[in-house]
Order: sequence, then C-alpha cells, then structure tokens
Amino acid sequence: MDKNELLEIGRKALNHAHKVGAEEAEAFLYVERQTSVQFVGGIFASRSGAIKGLKGSFIRMLEPWIKRKGLPKITSGIKVGVGVRAVVNKAIGFSSVSSVEEDKVLEAAEEATRIAKIRPPDPYWVSFPSPREQPGVEGVFDKKILDVSIEDLLRLCVDNCVAIGDLDKRINQAMGSVSTYVVSRAVVNTHGVEAFDEGTVFGAYFYAKAKSGSEEVSSGDFLVSRHYTEDLHSIALNAAKWTIEGFGKKSLPQKYVGPVVFENRSWNELFSFIFPSGVSAFNVQENRSVLKGKLGKQVASNSLSVTDDGTIPEGIGTSKFDDEGVPRQKTPIIEKGVLSSFLYDNYSAKRENRESTGNASRMGRATPAYANLPTIRPTNMLIQPGKGNLQDLTRELKNGVLVKGTLIGALHSNVVTGDFSVTAQNAFKIENGEIAYPIKPCTVAGNLYEALNNIIAIGDDLKTFETLISPSLIVDKIVVST
Amino acid sequence: MVMGLPIEDLMEKAVEHALRLGANFAEAKGEDTKTLTIEAINGQIRTVSEIRNIGIGVRVLYGKSMGFSFSNILNEENVTQAVETAMQIAKASKTKTLMKFSLASVSPVQERKSTVVKKHPKDASLDEKKDLCLRQCETAEAAGKAITNTTSSFGEYYGTIYYANSDGTKASYEPLLIGLRILCVAKKGTVIVDARESYGGSFGLEAFEEDEHTPEKMAEEAAKWALEKLKAKPAPAGRFDAFIDPRLAGVLAHESFGHLSEADFVVIGGSPLTGRIGQTLGAECVSIIDEGLPEKGGYKIPFDDEGVPCRRVEILKNGILNNYLQSRITAKALKMEPTGNARSQDYSFEPIVRMRNTYFDAGDWKPEEALKELKRGIYAIDTAGGQTEATGTFLFKAVRGYWVENGEPKHPLKDVALTGNILELLKNVEAVCNDLELHSNPFGGCGKMNQRAFVGLGGPHMLIKNVLFGGVA
Repeated sequence: MDKNELLEIGRKALNHAHKVGAEEAEAFLYVERQTSVQFVGGIFASRSGAIKGLKGSFIRMLEPWIKRKGLPKITSGIKVGVGVRAVVNKAIGFSSVSSVEEDKVLEAAEEATRIAKIRPPDPYWVSFPSPREQPGVEGVFDKKILDVSIEDLLRLCVDNCVAIGDLDKRINQAMGSVSTYVVSRAVVNTHGVEAFDEGTVFGAYFYAKAKSGSEEVSSGDFLVSRHYTEDLHSIALNAAKWTIEGFGKKSLPQKYVGPVVFENRSWNELFSFIFPSGVSAFNVQENRSVLKGKLGKQVASNSLSVTDDGTIPEGIGTSKFDDEGVPRQKTPIIEKGVLSSFLYDNYSAKRENRESTGNASRMGRATPAYANLPTIRPTNMLIQPGKGNLQDLTRELKNGVLVKGTLIGALHSNVVTGDFSVTAQNAFKIENGEIAYPIKPCTVAGNLYEALNNIIAIGDDLKTFETLISPSLIVDKIVVST
Repeated sequence: MVMGLPIEDLMEKAVEHALRLGANFAEAKGEDTKTLTIEAINGQIRTVSEIRNIGIGVRVLYGKSMGFSFSNILNEENVTQAVETAMQIAKASKTKTLMKFSLASVSPVQERKSTVVKKHPKDASLDEKKDLCLRQCETAEAAGKAITNTTSSFGEYYGTIYYANSDGTKASYEPLLIGLRILCVAKKGTVIVDARESYGGSFGLEAFEEDEHTPEKMAEEAAKWALEKLKAKPAPAGRFDAFIDPRLAGVLAHESFGHLSEADFVVIGGSPLTGRIGQTLGAECVSIIDEGLPEKGGYKIPFDDEGVPCRRVEILKNGILNNYLQSRITAKALKMEPTGNARSQDYSFEPIVRMRNTYFDAGDWKPEEALKELKRGIYAIDTAGGQTEATGTFLFKAVRGYWVENGEPKHPLKDVALTGNILELLKNVEAVCNDLELHSNPFGGCGKMNQRAFVGLGGPHMLIKNVLFGGVA
C-alpha cells in the first residue's frame, strides 16, 4: 500500500460519509508489518537434568549445541485497517475495519455516520482540525529494516541468549525477543487535512534467570530504536550481569523511609504510567488530575524540567503529525519545577478554544491503532538531565536504597492521585556510597506527585523508552519494606 | 487495489500453495466478524465503537517445524506472501528448536453451520440496542437518590469463521455473542459501594425480553444490591462453610481449575494435574465439564480453530480426573484424543489450548435445601476478579455476600474474599444443586499468552465446607 493508494481510499471514505449525511468526517489509515522473534534458550536443558542418562562430560561436550536449541516463537504478518469518525449535529460516530478494500471502508464510513446519528450532541465538540504546516523530522525511517530477514533476527536472538548463558554457570534460562515494525499512517479529514508518513521501529529484549541453592534471581534489559542494529551484546550482557548481582539477597532490618536512587528503567515505569494521565488536558477538564489549577505554579523540585517533543530526531514518538493529522511540536510541561502546559488533542484543545499540542494517539493495548479512538498521550517526554551516572548517584546518596530494573505492579498505581506501591526485584542496600547487599523483593511505595517535589538529584544517563527519555534520579521520602 | 477473491477461495489457494512449497500439512483460518460496544453513563450514550475484523491466518508444518503468518489484505498476492512467510518461519525454526511438532490425526470434517435465532443483532437497529442501555440507566437511577452513577454496556460479536486444511477439512460457522450489563454506584456519607448485574450468551436480542433478563429487571436488581450494600458489615475473617452462587462457581471452574486442565501446561509438566488421570481429586458429587455446544446458555462453538469438532469433555467426573483439554499438538504428545480446544483470538494468532464453556455440572440438591444446611457461614455471590496461580492457589473477591445462620441470610457483608487451593476446595464440596446456569459476555473474555478468547462459565449453587475467608483481593 503506498501513499497515494491510502490517501485515495481515505478520500473515498470521506465522500461516502458526506453522502450518507455526515457533516464532517475523518479517516485514519494504518498499515503495520511486524516481525518478531522470541527465543527461550535451551541452556536449562543440560543443567536441570532434562537429559537423563548422559554422563557429565558428554553433556559438557553437547552444551554448546544444547544452548542453541530452545523454543523459538516467530510471528510475522501484515495488518491494515481504517478507522472512520463521522460527525452529525455535534455527535461523533466511530467505526473501524481491518481492511483497505473500498467496499468495506465505505461501509465503515456509513456505519460511523449511522452511529453519530444515535448519539447525543457533545456540547464541547467544535470540529476536526484544519491543515497546519508540519515540522520536518529526521531519523524515523531506517531502510535497512526492510531487508532484515527472519533468519537474521533469529540468529541475533539466539546468539545473544547463548552469550547470556556463557556468562555464568548459575544462569539456567535465557530469553530474548527481537522485533521489527514498519508502520505507515495516513489521516484525511473534510477540512483538508491530508497527511501521510512512515516509520520503523526496532526493539530487543533479553532476560535471564539464575539459580544457586534455593535462591532464584532474574533480571533483563532492553533497547528500542528507530534503527536496526546487530550490536545487542551489551544489553544481553546487562541482563546476565544484573541477574547475577542479585544473589545473596537479604531482608531490610526494618522498614526504610528516606532517599532512594531510581535507576532510569525503574523511574520510567512509574513516571510514564502516572504522569501522562496528570498532564492530559482532558483529565484536567474532567477533574481527574491533581495538577488542575496548578499552571504557573511550583509542582516539582526546581531541578526538574520536562518537555514533550514530537520532533526529536530519531525519537520513538517522533512523527510529522499526530493521529488526528495535527503537526507534532515541542511542548514544555515543567520548567524548573513550574507547571507550564498540559498536553492536548484536538477535542480538549478546542474545548478551551486553543490549538492542539499534537498529542493525539491511537495506540492501544490489545487492539491495532485503527480500531481505537484518539486519546492524549506524550510523544517523547524528555526529563532534562543533570549530572552523573547511576554509580555517581549511588555515591552521592551515601546511605539508602537503590531500585533497579522493572517493577511489578506499576500498572496498579492510582493515576488520579499518583499513589504507587510496587514490588522491586532488583533493589540494593546502599551503605557508604557502595552497594552493601541486594534486597529481597521489596515493596516500594510513595506518591509520584510528592516524589516530584522530593527530587534530590538528577543524573545524566539518559535512556530511551517508548514515550520517555529519562535519566536515573534520587527521590526522598520513599518507603521501602521487605 | 485489486479486489480479492472470496475468502474461502483464498484459503484454499493458501493451503495448496503451502503444499506446493513442501509443507506436509497446512491450514488456514479465515474470519469476517463484527464487534459492537455501546456504553451509556448516567443516561448519556458515551461510547459506540464498532470493529470489523477480516483476515486470514496460515499455519504450516514443515517436517516437524511449525510456521504461522497472517494477512488482512485479502488478495492472492498477499495471502501467497503469508504462506511463504509461514514456510520461512518453519524452516528457520527447524535449526534452532528442540521441540518437534506433530498433529494427532482426526477425521476430516466438511460442514457449514449457520446460526439461527429469533432476533439476530445484525437485523436489529442501533436505536434498539442503544435503548437497552438507556432503559437500564433510567431504571437504576429511579431506584433511589443514593444511586449516584449508572453505567450500562451492550456488546455484540458475530460473523463467520472459516477453516480449511490439507487433510480435507472445510468448515465454517457463525459465532454469535451478545451481552448487557449494568453497574450502579451508591453513596451515603463517605461510604461508596457498587453492584452489578449482567446477562449474555449466544442468543438473539429476544433474550432481553424474557422476564428475568429485561434491562429493567437487571437494573432494578443491581440498584437494589447497591443500596443494600450501603448497610453491609465487614466480613469476618477465618474458616467458614460457604454457599456459592452459579457465577462464583463458574469462575472457580474456569480460573482456578480449568486452566490447570489445559494440556499445554500438562505437556511441559507445569500443571499440578500432570500425570494424575484416574486419580480422585474431588468429592464424588463434583463433575467439571468443558464443551463447545452446551444445551443452555454460554458461548456456542461447533469447531475449534484446528477444524476439530468440539467434544464434550468431562474433565472431572464424580471427583475423578478424567481428561485434559487438548489441541492436536498436545493430544499427539500425550497420546490422547484431540478434544476441539485449540482456539485463537483471531486470524492473526496461532491456535493454543483454550477453554470453551467450563462449568460444574448440576447435582440434585434444591438450592433452598442446600442453604438450610449452612448453619453458620457465608453466602458468596459472583466475583469481580482476583488472582490465581499455576499451583491452583486462588484469591477471589466476591461481589456480594451474606452472613448466614441456620440457613437464613442475616445481613449483607462487604469485602468478602475467598482464598485457598482449588484442589483442596474440590474435596470439601458437600452439596451440588440442580440450578445450573451458564454465563458468557462479549466484554472481555479470558486472557492467555496475550490472546483473548470468549468463553462461557457457570455451575449451580454449591455448599462447600471450611473455606478460608479474609485477606484483601
């Protein structure tokens, strides 16, 4: 499906919606080619006694072979679809179809119009966006990804899983996943918006499990980028290293309340889940944000500055326009601790008689983008870096707790109040600026909005996540208990 | 765009193409389905969303390696490409895997099954469906000032599922699932409670004309329970005998027991039911069934996504473990028979072992007589969720509960949480009633390995000894 084909189908949908009674209409067209390879390493086969009756020396001889044999799961396919919004008397109807065939798309346009007619008028609806000049964006499409074969991905995945197993005898399982995505989007509406762009994404994830005596530990690392790279060795080794450093876990002598170093990966989980909800203009308008009424006021430590920038070269959230065809832009959210803006989509912006910040997104959890209505979502939020890497921050903290890796239960945080209570499996006790011992899985609890005011230091070890680019940082008054 | 061939012709071509490329087995799943969701909040239609899902998935067996791919651009070029990708995946995996796949043989099936109901949702207007929600909100709001919020949802799913394979099976059926539910929030002072009621299954819209399932009746009940809950007392913690309703029974049958009987967990030794066929796991009065075409209610599926007719599986028969839920792959590995339990969320997923309609089979107790046997304990009704583990350990929070003394419900309880291990609980079942009910709805379904599937679940009222209550879900 090329640009002209997609736009042409979109135009036909608009014409048809108009013909059956829509006053305004919009079509979102989406094509996604995905190839992903998952591999669960076979290393554990030789060590957990799965091969019975073989002598030890023979197993060692076989080991390199066994390690390369695991359980691969490969998915590859193409998904296309169109979502149509139609407006009749200020009421919006939405219908989607997993097809770009003309008859089916026209049917969706008709259905959207029919749905609009049964809905009550929305008093805040004004109109779909009008065309505006789009920013130039760089580094969002890597042609190399088009040529990557399933065999390439499988080799990358398996070789790195094998490398994980080689690092330490105690590692009994390695898992990896490597994926490529090629996405084309088009948005057309009856106000003249006609937008098209393409992007690529490459993602890799490695995970290791190790066992010693009765103690089991695990950890992982990942990478997400616009570019294809075969250099995944460092993240595979991180997964192995971070797993092994978890051996010798102890309980905390008592509940700990005080400063905690959050590694960028751990901070991302809390911040990326809770903060976007608080700065969503829609949530503010609907009284579902504690930041309501705080514009121009201090909401965080003055060391904190956060911008949302949908134009950063090579950014995962970078594109020319958002999922309603509105140009992406740079929006300062917090400047030196002061709240400067919320994030808007077309609906919430027009409700306040202002311009959208280009933050409409149709990304869904279980359904493909074309089947979802737009909601407000950050593009690339950047936490302005300070100074120092994780080790520097640990030294600076002197005594306290370091929380690393992914957290369990971040998604159960209260996005309205900001309260969180998560389980950290890779936390460490810090004494005299050094890691004293790894802590048994512990509860880490606090409130994100209070945490923003309790930031003691911000590092410069920026890591890129799906919607956030964040350093590690130190936050005071966090409760940790085992 | 080149207009595509009919979906079944494309599937046939896909299977032929795979064989030409050297596959020793090939199958294609085609689908053209629609999902509609309507949601009204406080009497205002908030969401109407419609998704039509069309596409083809292809699975091939090359030697003993499996490959799967899909496309929803339905022309020969793209479907051929999907076949080639599936072959490429099978060939690539071959060198890297210890797992060998083979399929248990089944007799080929050639059948087209249509679904006929009185008022199929495809023939009803959007207005009629929208009104179901508005009627629910209106009734619930009228039930009392303390009702502060009402949310009503209507959902439907229907269409056609096609299946063809190189063994000669060619089948199609028309899935149908509708559901209506109401959630009421009641507030008094600082106490906020909610209550809900729902009904759904493979029915036409005539289901909501039956006396006990009209939108008004459901809304009245939900509102009544919400108001009643304002007066609920905290549930006592500790071990008590329990009387559970059909919905809670269904969740126990599905979540805590059914998943353990899925043969893919058995093949890798991950299920505590591994190697226990023929052993007594529960009281003699307990039978747990999983089937595709239950007599009354539930979500009806005649074939699974390997084209295997859905057999009625008596997983637990009079307390004895009798069978597992099988796909063709697990049946071959365990040297057992396929049961028609291989299902995929849609054309873009490979089939995996899933449940269909899972329930405790009816016994012969009358519910009111069984309740009389409860001298001191808790009547627990329905659940909004909880946690289960692969070991059979569960924690469920009941939606409603009553403290019962000498067979009489005394007062409503709040925060009724049940915990334990299903394998222990099954031994403690004292009485199984004769009022079997099956429930299903199109709002969520069961999740496994990132795939969702619509399922039915249920049971009759049951009396169970010595259940641990307390803890926070």
